Amino acid sequence: MTLLTVEGLEASYGPVRVLHGIDLTVERGEVVVLLGANGAGKTTTLRALCQLPGLSTSGRVDFDGRSLVGCRTEEVVRRGIAHVPQGRGTFPELSVEENLDAGAYLRRDRREVRQDIERWYDTFPRLADRRHQSAGTLSGGEQQMLAVARACLSRPQLLLLDEPSLGLAPLVIQHLFEIFAELNRSDGTTILVVEQNATLALSIATRAYVIESGQIVLTGPAAELHHDDGVRRAYLGF
Amino acid sequence: MNLLQTLPWAVPGVNDAFFDLSYVLQLVTTGLANGAVYALMALSVVIVYRTTGHMNFAQGEMGTIGCLLVFSISVERGVPYWISIPAAIALSMVVGAVLQRTLVQPVERRGGMGVVLVTLGLFLIINAVDAVIWGADPVTPVTPFPSEAGDRFIILDGPPQFAIRYSTIGIWITLAVVVGLLWLLLQRTRLGLGYRAVAANPESALLVGIPKDRMLMLGWALAAGIGTLAAVLFSQKTGSLDFNLMAAVILYGLAAAALGGFDSIPGAVVGGAVVGLVESLVPAFFSFIGSELSLVMALVVIVAVLLVRPQGIFGKAKVVRV
Repeated sequence: MTLLTVEGLEASYGPVRVLHGIDLTVERGEVVVLLGANGAGKTTTLRALCQLPGLSTSGRVDFDGRSLVGCRTEEVVRRGIAHVPQGRGTFPELSVEENLDAGAYLRRDRREVRQDIERWYDTFPRLADRRHQSAGTLSGGEQQMLAVARACLSRPQLLLLDEPSLGLAPLVIQHLFEIFAELNRSDGTTILVVEQNATLALSIATRAYVIESGQIVLTGPAAELHHDDGVRRAYLGF
Repeated sequence: MNLLQTLPWAVPGVNDAFFDLSYVLQLVTTGLANGAVYALMALSVVIVYRTTGHMNFAQGEMGTIGCLLVFSISVERGVPYWISIPAAIALSMVVGAVLQRTLVQPVERRGGMGVVLVTLGLFLIINAVDAVIWGADPVTPVTPFPSEAGDRFIILDGPPQFAIRYSTIGIWITLAVVVGLLWLLLQRTRLGLGYRAVAANPESALLVGIPKDRMLMLGWALAAGIGTLAAVLFSQKTGSLDFNLMAAVILYGLAAAALGGFDSIPGAVVGGAVVGLVESLVPAFFSFIGSELSLVMALVVIVAVLLVRPQGIFGKAKVVRV
């Protein structure tokens, strides 16, 4: 069943057009990766899906059977999309625990939120140790863990991950991607991930899209793209 | 007891009376009483600044119009002050939120210095409207605290005498209550968490579903309420009320906020106390600085802070990773 349908999505920052008609679909339960060079429009695609202010968009974006176009970002979140922005985007002055509470801002089931937070502390014990520290004092890896946990506390149907491996140590990256695979497998969370590290992303993805200059230029099952030599040389750089 | 007379030399430019204990304590008390009002104004400035990054120069005038409303409702219509003051505070909160939504938000989206000009414009408009409606002559304001000449604790009998007015203690208690309620709201409620999240990272706040625009309105509403309260207390202190009531007080409040770092609530309170003390002690200490120069002191404080420690005493220096 299709969870997200994007057709002819165009987006501009002021007079600068960045996306020139993106078409993509994400099926429920999939892990889809969006690959592409710097400046191709990957981050802008995710930002446009969330209807973040500062970006004017047009085209069709249907999520769970209803259009997201023109919604406020808070409404997009309420409908079940969580976004882990590039560079983590934690609340540096707030404690780790307050960051997590903020992630559950739209939820009213306080007891279950508590349980979810404890579960995330079990997943990332380093966050539990630092629960009363302000998030600004965390290392890059810890901040990314916090950003992922915070996004998941809204219990999203679709998780958007923007360059989750950027600037992190290999062991931390491996741990995070195991968590993503686990989230998809056991919680059934659908994931759309933007990654520079193509090998890593293709290893957990079911399907992939390659974006170039604001347009989708290639799509296919992750395994196929991973093993096609022509594709690898032309688009993925490995 | 005059300490100066024990010195073997004369100190040029220094006021002899400054070395009398009662006199100094009285100056400190006066300074801290004004300082509490400045602290309230600084709190309003800080609450708006933390989420929006701009200053509302019309904050004082919004307080003045609230205070004039209290005067009209209570003195002219005879409604008791414990109804008129909360009503004026509530009304000003609504007006603050509406102004933010209708005037500031559309201008802010376009960026640049627009918001500064809007708040300066509001300053002039409200000031003029006050004068048109209530006239330019000072009136006797509503006094929520006892205000007769004898309503004070005499601590050291004089002359010179050291006494603390009941109203001064009332102002201090009010400041403590406001700070306490603000702390509870910001640290212990979901609304406060949303406000602090927007202050810390507006875009991430949107991405977890916090209605950012409503948090900005909340900031303006709180600031307007506190500003009106500050104006009521200040009019009680000066005993006279006209359309220029808060024109200077907002400058002292800005100086206090600058001293405290613009984004810190404890900083605003300490900043208010320091500015109040500077205003009261420095002209008394140096006989060549008259009290008419006291407004200049506020500006000196602002400039000195911006030069020496731009992040203020309690503010955090912004670290930007690129």
